[in-house]
Amino acid sequence: MPQGALALLILRVLRSGPLHGYAIAQRIHALSDDVLKVEEGALYPALQRILLKGWATAEWDTSETNRKVRSYRLTAAGRRQLEHEMASYDRVTRAIQAVLRTA
Amino acid sequence: MLRELFRRVHYLVTRRRRARELEDEMAAHRAMAARDGSAVPFGDELRLREDAQDVWGWAWLDHLSQDLRFAFRMLRRSPGFTAVAVAVLAIGIGANVAAFGFFNLLVLRPLPVREPDTLLRLERRSPSAYNGALSYPQMAFVRDHATTLSAVMGLATARLTDSDGRPVSAQFVTGNLFDELGAPMRLGRGLVPRDATPAADPAVVLSHGYWLRRFGGDPSIVGRVLHLNGRPATVVGVAEPRFSDLSLDSPDLWLPIERHPFYVAGSVFLTDVSGNEGVRAFGRLRPGATPAAAQAELRGLMNALRRERPDAVWDGEWLLTLPAGYATGLMDGGHRGSGQAPLGEILTVFGLAGALALLILATACANLGGLLLARGVAREREMAIRAAIGAGRARLVRQLLTESLVLALLGSAAGLACGSAVLRGLMALSGAPPFLDTTPDWRVVVFAAVAAWAVALLFGLTPALQTARLRRSRTAAREVLIGIQVATSCVLVIVASLLARGVVSASTSDPGFDVEHVLSVDPGLRAHGYTPAQASAFLTTLTMRLERLPGVRSVALATAAPLSRVTWTIGTEVDGRPLSLLANHVSPAFFTTMGIPLLQGRTFTRQDTRALIVSDALARRAWPGLSPLGRQIVLGEDEAGNEIAFTVVGLVGSSRLPNPNAPDALDAYLPIEPDEPPLLVALVRTSGPARSLVSAAGAATRSLDPGLFPEVASLRTWLDRRVQSTSYMAMSVGALGLFALLLAGLGIFGLVAYAVAQRTTEIGVRMALGARPHDVLLVFGRRFVGPIAIGLGAGVLGAAGLSQLLRAQLFGLSPIDPSTYAAATGLFVVIATLATLLPARRALRIEPVTALKHE
Repeated sequence: MPQGALALLILRVLRSGPLHGYAIAQRIHALSDDVLKVEEGALYPALQRILLKGWATAEWDTSETNRKVRSYRLTAAGRRQLEHEMASYDRVTRAIQAVLRTA
Repeated sequence: MLRELFRRVHYLVTRRRRARELEDEMAAHRAMAARDGSAVPFGDELRLREDAQDVWGWAWLDHLSQDLRFAFRMLRRSPGFTAVAVAVLAIGIGANVAAFGFFNLLVLRPLPVREPDTLLRLERRSPSAYNGALSYPQMAFVRDHATTLSAVMGLATARLTDSDGRPVSAQFVTGNLFDELGAPMRLGRGLVPRDATPAADPAVVLSHGYWLRRFGGDPSIVGRVLHLNGRPATVVGVAEPRFSDLSLDSPDLWLPIERHPFYVAGSVFLTDVSGNEGVRAFGRLRPGATPAAAQAELRGLMNALRRERPDAVWDGEWLLTLPAGYATGLMDGGHRGSGQAPLGEILTVFGLAGALALLILATACANLGGLLLARGVAREREMAIRAAIGAGRARLVRQLLTESLVLALLGSAAGLACGSAVLRGLMALSGAPPFLDTTPDWRVVVFAAVAAWAVALLFGLTPALQTARLRRSRTAAREVLIGIQVATSCVLVIVASLLARGVVSASTSDPGFDVEHVLSVDPGLRAHGYTPAQASAFLTTLTMRLERLPGVRSVALATAAPLSRVTWTIGTEVDGRPLSLLANHVSPAFFTTMGIPLLQGRTFTRQDTRALIVSDALARRAWPGLSPLGRQIVLGEDEAGNEIAFTVVGLVGSSRLPNPNAPDALDAYLPIEPDEPPLLVALVRTSGPARSLVSAAGAATRSLDPGLFPEVASLRTWLDRRVQSTSYMAMSVGALGLFALLLAGLGIFGLVAYAVAQRTTEIGVRMALGARPHDVLLVFGRRFVGPIAIGLGAGVLGAAGLSQLLRAQLFGLSPIDPSTYAAATGLFVVIATLATLLPARRALRIEPVTALKHE
């Protein structure tokens, strides 16, 4: 999966509320009907990049199973970035589909 | 963008905590995955974590600190190698630090005075003449009328005599100099404009050095009265050593310039416009004025002055303005002549010092390159292991280069210390003024640091690439390194021997005239205001008195005593070739007195006016292969603009001691002109050693006029002084040359030994198959003869080119002196042969069986 796409998915699942790293992977996995599998080696660099860009903040939290986890929360900048990315994603997919249909 | 940068830096600061958090986070991820029993991540945890951390862009820093730690560990583990490498670099970089430090001191570093950037030096120029000094009336006119200059300062040196008869070097300065330059005072005050007025008590300011030398640093010196040339002067202050009076003269004391006639009896200094007495003049630009505007205004002022006093200004004269805030701006104050002003000798010195320093650095780099190459062999196993566990080639090269850089930085720090110490020593030896502070400033430190980086790349890159490539490829690196070392050290050795021979030949061989039996007596008549008629009468009597002294054989007069600093050059043309003649107006007895042989024609008679006697060197340059007698040279114009031609009546031997400013001593001797007697110096030929008559000659002069303080010295004394600076130069270059020779010898030795070690097995096989010892030697010899020979050739050519710069320092020795070249090359061949054969002999002792088991 390309890096940009992974970041887009992560931002999207974070929109409904803060999640920790493992939960993010799980959520993407479940929502994609077990098609998309986010590896640890891709997930954490992507999360560090999101922190670097300031699209999310991270804080320590306790999970439902009483385990210390680090939750990521979307920032205002992250929300703007998500909307921007989704808009351009829509535009590109529509364009691709148009080509695929007519050519 | 800025926020992102801020987050990056914040990450860097909290890096350890963030790394731990990431570790915890990923551990939690794994634990949860394990609990769910699904998709347990696998892989190197450390590697995964590093990948995630690399996002922040600080990986290079980690690598650098790893490399540095490792480099220091490696260097600590082989202290011998480290010590040798740092020492070699310290000398290589040190020589460059000293050379650059010298350049910096003279050209780049502002003088320690107030607002050095607005200071201008004023010099006289016209289409047909130049003079580094203005006349006092000229300076006064500029001071009174210039609007672009807020202040005009002037200074003039004089040799005075104290109450014990000892010479004192005095600087006569304008009253505004101390204030204008913000002079730092150790005691009391500086001179002020009021001191210049006749009503004020005669004031004198002592230099720090003179105060210590003469008065033992007496703290109660202020108020004491000294006697200079028999006149009282009250000490009003002592200047700090760092005070720069805009000269490189390091005078003993300063006096107000307007008081010149008070100390020098009969002085016409303040009114003389002939250009014989000069003031080195400086101006300070008014805020907002440009040097170009000042120069334009000064040109106008000279025209105005010409209308007022036609004798005070040359035709077409203008004043050149030069930046004076740097030490170079203070040089060459005493030069004047006709024609165009020559370029300063100092450029040559910079060129030479820089070239020699770069050569020694190149030798050091090549030597270290060889050292690292050999070390690379020893580390092949280590590199192989590192490569096997996943280090990429780029990473290995970076590691090796970091080691080189650490070495270079250590060497550079040591070189900074060595170079500055050497520069300080040389400056002290050559009597440089104390305000030229040799402690390295930021420019020198930056230079040393940049040199370290360049050097690390130069000597480290090839070995690093080769070691990291992990192949024993047959590259030319070794041969090239040997060639470079031989070439560079060869140049240094030849240049050093040339200089040494120059010094030896100057102080021992015949300079073309007699230095042992001639005494010069400079009565200083001009300074004491003698008119030509008075001076002529005085000199006639003086000549008779001196001739009557026991042990005196003859007495002659000349405008320029040989070896003195006074030079008068005439630019002219012969058959379209420009020549710069070293002119000297002499009496008929000059040649016999000086012991200069008359080769053809005759000496002057008292009736000669437009006669000329030329030196052999001049005749050969002007009319190669022809007799000079009867030929004519145009030397100047009369008032009507007609050319004045002089006819050659005699040919004399060349003197082999050219003035440093005129490398080819094209001596031209002219009869004494009617207006010249006040300038004349008496030359006395003695039958015994000249030194024994110094005091008698001085007493004879003073008995005629007690107001005079003549300067009397044997020509040997002048010669020794003249040779001294070159002998320092020869010593420094000689030390560099010896060091380069040692480096080259060791370098060849090391690389041959390395070649032997590398090819032990091969030699064993050859010997087992019946090769005889000289076959084996030949195998190595052949490899190294080529590079050594090419290096020698390049070195000889380089030395021949470089030594052209040295002409002035060689005292008549040719820069292509064959015996010096032969000797230096021979020495080199011997050393190179020894350095090749000694390690190659080890190859002969190899036991075939041991060698075959070697690997």
